[in-house]
Amino acid sequence: MEIDTTKHTGRFPQMIIYLGKLFRMFIFQNDWKVLPMSAIIAGLVSFAVGADLFKTMEGTLMGTFALACVCIWNGFFNSIQVICRERAIIKREHRSGLHISSYIAAHVIYQSVLCMAQSAITLIVLYYTKVSLPTKPLITSIAVFDLWLTIFLVTFCADMMALMVSALARTTTTAMTVMPFLLIFQLVFSGGYFSLPAAAQPITNVTIAKWGLTSLCAQGDYNSLPMVSVWNTMFKMKDVEVEGQKPVLEMLKYAEQNNMKEDILMQTASYNKIENYNFDPSVVYRCWRWLLLWILVYIAVAVVSLEFIDKDRR
Amino acid sequence: MNNITFIGLLFQILQFAVISVGYWNIFKKCGVKPYYAWIPFAREYHIGLCANREKEARTYTIIAVLSEVIGVINNLRNDGSSFSLIVAVIYFSLQITLIVYMIRIYLGLIEVFGRKKRWLFGFIFIQMITTLIWGLSPKFVPRKKVEDPSAEEGVKVSGTEAPVIESGLTVNITERKVIDFFRKKVLLKDIHMNIPKGHMVLLLGGSGAGKTTYLNAVTGYEKADATVKLDGQDIYTDYAKMKYDVGFVPQQDLMRGNDTVALTLTDAASLRLPSSVSFFQKRKRVNEVLEEFGLATVRNSLVEKLSGGQRKRLSIAMEYISDPTLFILDEPDSGLDGVVARGLFEKLRAIADQGKIVIVITHTPDRVIDLFDDVIVLAKDASRTGRLAWYGPVDEAREFFGKDSMEGILLAINQKDEGGEGRADEFVEKYTDKYQKEAG
Repeated sequence: MEIDTTKHTGRFPQMIIYLGKLFRMFIFQNDWKVLPMSAIIAGLVSFAVGADLFKTMEGTLMGTFALACVCIWNGFFNSIQVICRERAIIKREHRSGLHISSYIAAHVIYQSVLCMAQSAITLIVLYYTKVSLPTKPLITSIAVFDLWLTIFLVTFCADMMALMVSALARTTTTAMTVMPFLLIFQLVFSGGYFSLPAAAQPITNVTIAKWGLTSLCAQGDYNSLPMVSVWNTMFKMKDVEVEGQKPVLEMLKYAEQNNMKEDILMQTASYNKIENYNFDPSVVYRCWRWLLLWILVYIAVAVVSLEFIDKDRR
Repeated sequence: MNNITFIGLLFQILQFAVISVGYWNIFKKCGVKPYYAWIPFAREYHIGLCANREKEARTYTIIAVLSEVIGVINNLRNDGSSFSLIVAVIYFSLQITLIVYMIRIYLGLIEVFGRKKRWLFGFIFIQMITTLIWGLSPKFVPRKKVEDPSAEEGVKVSGTEAPVIESGLTVNITERKVIDFFRKKVLLKDIHMNIPKGHMVLLLGGSGAGKTTYLNAVTGYEKADATVKLDGQDIYTDYAKMKYDVGFVPQQDLMRGNDTVALTLTDAASLRLPSSVSFFQKRKRVNEVLEEFGLATVRNSLVEKLSGGQRKRLSIAMEYISDPTLFILDEPDSGLDGVVARGLFEKLRAIADQGKIVIVITHTPDRVIDLFDDVIVLAKDASRTGRLAWYGPVDEAREFFGKDSMEGILLAINQKDEGGEGRADEFVEKYTDKYQKEAG
């Protein structure tokens, strides 16, 4: 057979070849399982923290934090092993003319589709489990679509971080050892749920959880929600006696009889507003920009690190 | 500087000096260059070499350097801030790691010197005194010395390049070396040959003789100080183009188990064949290769469902699909029984007969040696460098080594500590003389 050796399959056709491979694997291997898994996790979160999500400040903070963690968990599990488990195969294919950028691009596209599906599944589960979702749109004309975009970006960003780890790790054991450490880092340094010292605030910018949490809180109009923790605390203290009287109980009765409860809740909330969670498109855009930036960084690191695959020992 | 800091610094200098004196003498006993005892970090690595724990010593040295850098940062920013706290935690973690690795290294040293493990406490708690005792006392003698192959004089080299042939493979490797943690290692040296088309060549050599290094150098995958030409075209300078004319089949069956045979081969064709080949031509080629390798009946099966022999044939077919001129196989018969292996080698013979060059590594050469034209024998010389001990026809190789089997040849060139006869240098020298004489 006469072979023209001057030109071979370019980057784009190679990407298509690998994309085909990945989607075949989705069917034949266990990759499809991430979809029902995301539904189960969303259901569990809804059961645990869904009642007050987007209803009260405390419930929203806790619920959006949990939601961001779910997205990160989904993203991590999607791709933490995808590259390292076939590292030797990639090395062989690289030797035969595989472009690493095509290979990573195929993974990026494939994973983005998975993340889109997972984000949609998460929202569907929240909807059917009667979680009150935001109704006021902020970016597009559909509030739920805005929410889906944020959930997708958080999931995808975590997915790309895991893809990077998978490209850096030589074995699946290494990748799976690193993963919990990254997860804990995301949870602790998100800066929203746990209070961090001022010096540690810059570190929060590198976490996906922070941008996810901030965007979700802004979209849920956190600052317009009532704060119930003060009222609840007072309710717990209703039987406290002072000189034979129960002033807290009296006050609660008075507030309820005069329909002042809502005002008190809103008044309490007004002292606890967080500027970063303003119902403002610029807040959401800022979060999305950060997430996109990290997505690009993770992809770039994955490509560069995998270019050195030839250095792997036999 | 207050008095306490000054005394602390003095103690550190004294400690470094005393340990260095101890190490100096330990290094001399172990056959390591003693001046390393005075070089920070290098001395820790070399005490690891004395302990026969090279891998641990390597890790220890890297962590020690990292720890020192973090330590400096810690000292500069020790202001009680969150940042300095994080740095201190990292420094503390690294120190714990260093202690664990140091224990491993000292345990190795104790083993090499044939002493009781209780000496470990000496190294941990009274390091200065212990190293001095071990260094200065003539009672402490290692049972094993550190090998320094670079110190050995290698066998003479021919330095005569093989003339470039227009049809076939010309290999002229002057040297293939790597710098590896304070040491230069020459992996291959002075290998010159011409392999004509249509030849099936056996690559023979003991463990560490440089077979894989040779193949990587020939294919241009790991470039050496060499010139490698296929049909007159330089593989190194035209690597981007030439790599498609070289098929390398790795030892392991590196394929995705969850894809079908036909799709695996179709993807391989898409990757390896030129873009000018149409989709229909590619499909035709895939069908041809499936038939040729006896895989047509399992074309829709998943790769993971194939037998060992079928999987190996598919792995070869993936490279064969692009019809390469040079075909290299690393132990294609590993894990296959005699009959299946024989069938596979007959297939390779048929490929060679199509005018290809087929180079094969196998650990059971004698059962298929009748199928080979030539044999390349690589051997480790005194300096542990891979050298050419023979390249030529199989029959002449038997005569040259005075052995009637390939395994006999392997036994002759293998080192004595590997159960061989340790005659590598003799044959490398003999072959060099023969080669020089023939090259004129």
